[in-house]
Amino acid sequence: MQLLGQATDIAPYANWMPPMLSEHGGQIDNLISVLHIFMAILFVAWGAFLTYTVIRFRARAGHKADYHPVKGKASKYAEIGIGLFEVFLLLGLSMPVWAAYKNNPPKADDRVEVRAIGEQFQWNFHYPGPDGVFGRTNAKFIDAASNTVGLDPDDPAGKDDIQTIGEMHIPVGKPIYVRVSSKDVIHSFAIPTMRVKQDCIPGMEIPIWFTAKEDATTERVKREMIQEFPVADVDWYRLRHHVAVQDYQDESGQVILKEGEGIGLSREAGEKKLKTLRDVTDTIKMQPRNPLEIICAQLCGNSHFKMKAQVFTYDAAGYQEWMDNAVPKEVEIDFGGF
Amino acid sequence: MSDHSHDLPFWKKYIFSVDHKMIGIQYTVTALVFLAIGFGMMLVMRYQLAYPNQPIPVIGQFLGEPIVAAVENPDTGETGYVLTGDGYNSFGAMHGTIMVFLAIVPLAVGGFGNFVLPLQCGAPDMAFPRLNMASYWTYLPGGILMMFGFFVKGGAANSGWTSYPPLATIATTGQTIWLLGMVILITSSLLGSVNFIVTVVQLRAKGLSFFRLPFFAWAQLVTAFLLLLAFPPLEAAGVLQLMDRVAGTSFFDPGGLIVSGVEQNTAGGGSPLLWQHLFWFLAHPEVYVLILPGLGIISEVIANNTRKPLWGYKSLVYSAIFLGFMSFIVWAHHMFMTGMGTTLSTFFQATTMIISVPSVIILTCLIISLWGASIRFTVPMLFALAFLPMFGIGGLTGLPLGLTASDIHLHDTYYVIGHFHYVVAPGTIFAMFAGIYYWFPKATGRKMNEWLGRIHFAGSFVFINAVFMPFFFMGMASVLRRQFDQTETLHGAAVQGLSVMSTWGAFGLAAFQLPFVFNFFWSIFAGERVGANPWHATTLEWSAPSPPPHGNFLSEPVVACGPYEYSVPGEAEDYTMQSPPPATA
Ligand code: HEM
Ligand SMILES: [Cu+2]
Ligand SMILES: [Cu+2]
Repeated sequence: MQLLGQATDIAPYANWMPPMLSEHGGQIDNLISVLHIFMAILFVAWGAFLTYTVIRFRARAGHKADYHPVKGKASKYAEIGIGLFEVFLLLGLSMPVWAAYKNNPPKADDRVEVRAIGEQFQWNFHYPGPDGVFGRTNAKFIDAASNTVGLDPDDPAGKDDIQTIGEMHIPVGKPIYVRVSSKDVIHSFAIPTMRVKQDCIPGMEIPIWFTAKEDATTERVKREMIQEFPVADVDWYRLRHHVAVQDYQDESGQVILKEGEGIGLSREAGEKKLKTLRDVTDTIKMQPRNPLEIICAQLCGNSHFKMKAQVFTYDAAGYQEWMDNAVPKEVEIDFGGF
Repeated sequence: MSDHSHDLPFWKKYIFSVDHKMIGIQYTVTALVFLAIGFGMMLVMRYQLAYPNQPIPVIGQFLGEPIVAAVENPDTGETGYVLTGDGYNSFGAMHGTIMVFLAIVPLAVGGFGNFVLPLQCGAPDMAFPRLNMASYWTYLPGGILMMFGFFVKGGAANSGWTSYPPLATIATTGQTIWLLGMVILITSSLLGSVNFIVTVVQLRAKGLSFFRLPFFAWAQLVTAFLLLLAFPPLEAAGVLQLMDRVAGTSFFDPGGLIVSGVEQNTAGGGSPLLWQHLFWFLAHPEVYVLILPGLGIISEVIANNTRKPLWGYKSLVYSAIFLGFMSFIVWAHHMFMTGMGTTLSTFFQATTMIISVPSVIILTCLIISLWGASIRFTVPMLFALAFLPMFGIGGLTGLPLGLTASDIHLHDTYYVIGHFHYVVAPGTIFAMFAGIYYWFPKATGRKMNEWLGRIHFAGSFVFINAVFMPFFFMGMASVLRRQFDQTETLHGAAVQGLSVMSTWGAFGLAAFQLPFVFNFFWSIFAGERVGANPWHATTLEWSAPSPPPHGNFLSEPVVACGPYEYSVPGEAEDYTMQSPPPATA
């Protein structure tokens, strides 16, 4: 997987971790790298010692075990060394990141606020709109179709509020302050590409914040993640979240796969499409339909595994444009009959 | 098993026995059956994970609603049975519950503890034999009740082995069964642990001071204290959750929940996090319950097969005790993502780093014990040697999870599954295998077949790594645990190949358990006959006949030395028993 805008310091895991697109995420990846290098050194050293010892001291004719314990301080030094290194990991690497992540919330006038409300099995989002003030909410106003957060229609502050289901729209380069909560059971709000995770505990609204990197707009990330898949031996599931970046047509000129289209949302459809594609091309160029997924990291019921949402990231102008379009026009507000 | 016992009627000898050895064997066999059931469930789950929504071959049709759903293949018209999301969650929750509470702990403590501990103490039996019988006869019904969950409406508990409310509170009836089962199992465990503590404290043979106890006995003693002190909070919590479910209380319910669009009419005022604190207050010490007896077994096997004293015996003992204490103040490292502030998380990170120190010391002692040895590669020793690096991987991968910053990325992913399975599967389970091969001759008077044992070992070692190693990479890629189908997400689909590999590893692992199963039963009747001390070991259990009669020892053992006096200079034999048996034996 292509890593985007990444510092080289996370290279050892570059091929395994999802792209890292937030400002604090580099430090987390960094810690993970340092830890694994440390772990690998320890493991290899231990393993080498173990292997050597086992071979050297195997039972054989004429060899006898030595009753006396080995003397020597090597193990003590090793233990103290490991202990000190752990102190360094904790105080030097982990705590500063955690403190940055938890201790200094961005100032109220310098952040974009969103409420994220988990529910079996969807993510609801609530934005304060241009006035920057969240309207009052109450469970009795909840309507599954038009008002999932339960906005009070009589509150003037709520008139310009925006609600979305399954989509979170944010600007890049600006601190995003998400108030995380849940309607029913515990969920966990996780954005792997932003290295963000926070449990959603019903009865509590817990704030969490992060900043998407300046260059991490959805459009750009998609472009960076364009990949060529060999059609001969790729499984349907590998492509199910991807769309083609160009048209593919057969000899007669009939388009088999259109730009912007996926190979199909079901296995059957996908496999059929793959079969026809094999006749016309060896590889297909695709990009993720949306690379920035929000997933639910806490077991929340039988569809927990597909409780997801998408993040859309924009530059300042794009964000403004989204907001202008999304703000409800006074006349169009339909609060489901309340 | 028969030669020396009095003429007890069958049901008193084999069923309602008060003899610690028979109870130990009952525990062992029952726990192995549960181990197989828990593993079988996982095979079904792994099939679904590798081949999402494909019919489960062969056994799918027997699983029934709501675990599987019938689907027709549009091309062939054949009916297949695919696992459902609820079925997956039931199997997942029950796999965890069965493995922890019905398989590993009963095997490690109820099985090995019961059989070996009184013998190693030179005692004729447990301090309270009837309590011991009661413990087994609470465990078995508790386990059966747990399984009964599958037959109630909605299937067995499906809220994870952790049963977090409110999900668990609104779950189907299976959860009530789970809670009742847990209360019974905890009771069984409490009965057992009191017994173990009193036995070690009161019934040690003459001359057997605490520091002459084998490390296995120490490990069991610390384990018993953990069970005794950690389980009551969970038992209380279980009763509270039961009340929330059946009596309309709201201990864990904040109120105002809207489930599927319907507002719940509960009093509220409770806290979902309270459950998590109570649960993990048990469940963290519980993981040391899962590993300490294993470490005890490994120590015995290593001492015996290196033919030299364990290196740093006292460090081992102090580390085990310290581990026991510390295990009570690390629980909230399971809860870093609940919204914990810096102060609290610093405390729990610090205690977590501190608790890794005694674990490192234990592992170091065991490895250094090999230096200067004369290593016999018996089957138990092969498992013990493999245990060391496997437990090492399990321990090391705990580090990134214990530091909050890296935990942000790894929490609730397959990295966690990989981490603790390295501890409990190639860790504890390998220790259990080592123990079975090691003490089998004591229990039956016969040895298990060496070559079948080696095949079992080699295959298990290869395939268990094939199962669990991919999990670390999947976790890095953000594949979450408890997912019915990881290809639902972009990053999950990208590493689905690893999941397939793990599944085939699991089937390979299953295949290589067949030699073990065959060996186990075959050896009971046809294994090579052996005497009291086939391994030339030192500790007290080897002074009793194999199998030991009712009352264990032919003459009262008197202990003259420490537990691991191997290769003492000037001695004729390379082992000096703590209490040599009378010359006639
Ligand atoms: C050796 C064979 C085993 C295999 C192949 C295996 C595999 C797995 C897998 C793949 C999961 C993750 C399921 C998911 O998150 O959806 C899991 C969960 C779990 N396993 Fe195992 N496991 C094995 C043995 C054990 C043992 C010996 C123990 C116990 C001590 C154990 C305890 C657990 C627990 C507690 C969970 C978590 C369940 C939950 O999420 O509620 N497993 N196992
Ligand atoms: Cu959820
Ligand atoms: Cu979920």
